[in-house]
Amino acid sequence: MDIFIQSAAQISIQNPLCDDWFENPIAHTEGYNRSIEPDYKPFINPMAARRMGKLIKRAIATSISAKQSAGLEQVDAIITGTGLGCIENTEKFLSAMVNEGEQFLQPTYFMQSTHNTISSQIALNQKCNGYNCTYSHRGTSFESGLSDALQQMLLGRINNALVGGHDEMTPDYYNMLGKIGYWKQGELSEQILRQSSSKGSFAGETSVALIVGTNKTEHALCKLRDVDLLYKPSETALQDAVQRMLQQNNLQPSDIDALMLGLSGDCEYDAIYTNFANAFGKNTPIAWYKHIFGESFTAPAFGVYAAATCLAKESVPSHLLHNQKNEVKSPRNILLYNHFQNIDHSLILLSKC
Amino acid sequence: MEELILELKKEIIEVLNLEGMTPDDIDNDAPMFGDEGLALDSIDALELIVLLEKNYGIKLANAAAGKEVFKSVRTMAEYVSKNRTK
Repeated sequence: MDIFIQSAAQISIQNPLCDDWFENPIAHTEGYNRSIEPDYKPFINPMAARRMGKLIKRAIATSISAKQSAGLEQVDAIITGTGLGCIENTEKFLSAMVNEGEQFLQPTYFMQSTHNTISSQIALNQKCNGYNCTYSHRGTSFESGLSDALQQMLLGRINNALVGGHDEMTPDYYNMLGKIGYWKQGELSEQILRQSSSKGSFAGETSVALIVGTNKTEHALCKLRDVDLLYKPSETALQDAVQRMLQQNNLQPSDIDALMLGLSGDCEYDAIYTNFANAFGKNTPIAWYKHIFGESFTAPAFGVYAAATCLAKESVPSHLLHNQKNEVKSPRNILLYNHFQNIDHSLILLSKC
Repeated sequence: MEELILELKKEIIEVLNLEGMTPDDIDNDAPMFGDEGLALDSIDALELIVLLEKNYGIKLANAAAGKEVFKSVRTMAEYVSKNRTK
């Protein structure tokens, strides 16, 4: 059975709800960046929006946008990956608890302080009574959701799903992560991230919604061939998983036109990607996306979105390439690999429709 | 009383995040709940109960009393004026 990524929508530190980044990505020089917010009025009733935090608004806007692009009235399932849930409202709720001696707690912040409120709010907004699930597994939250959708379709339980990856980065959380070396200091550039000569990366926020389904719709972006998640694999186990994935999908390493890696500019973690690429084959073009969208727990959602866009537009543009300058024309297969602190690893295989 | 009504309107706008609304947009006597007026719902009612306790030291335990108190901004102001402890 073929499964397709029928549409995608994003809100990020790039121009929202469009593919402008594919031709003209915005270059960020600050370590901390918030998403560029679109006008939410076309997506959310103002009276409903007043009770929504930023992340919920983004999740609903991307979900509606992706559904519209796929021409769907309703989906069979809503599956969300989020590392932190609505952390902004969680902070407000916890701050109030501390400041007010655990009294006078506002219900709105409480409701939105749970991780699974994202999937739930999308379902309420879209009046979807189908399967509803939230995965919160740090750096593989999104991939867990995507794997769930894929397996349920292969089992014939659902025909389509809205799969999202959503995370926000509040100033407080950014500062806390900075203290344990998550971020690079000073002015940033693509060159500094590409050199990967120091610890840390740069922060982004994620809101990506995909419609994944068993129908090859007119504007389907690509095929979703496989998803695999590995916990603390050895290099050999990782390569075995790659070989297994390729064999199961009747592909050779030479059929892979580009590797889409989670390179982020962090010297320690990028070395793992370099080893992976060397083991795979030194001549395979390496693409990356975190220099454009930034790092977050669900940043791999941008990897899938970027790779799907490349397959649909039949090009991996030069600004996405890490080890060469020439655009990759007409890619047919892209293998994505990401790891979170060398603990949770994910492999995703996408192919042209 | 007019001063308290204005203060309450500002607090309601802030706590319920009524974006784009000013105190002048809220009629003193218009119903706060239901289909007319502000058209607030049960979660808003909880927010208003927290507001009364936090800002005015009023504990509103009786749900039936709440119906009367939150009829309009004016009834709310009258109740606050009579029962406030801070």
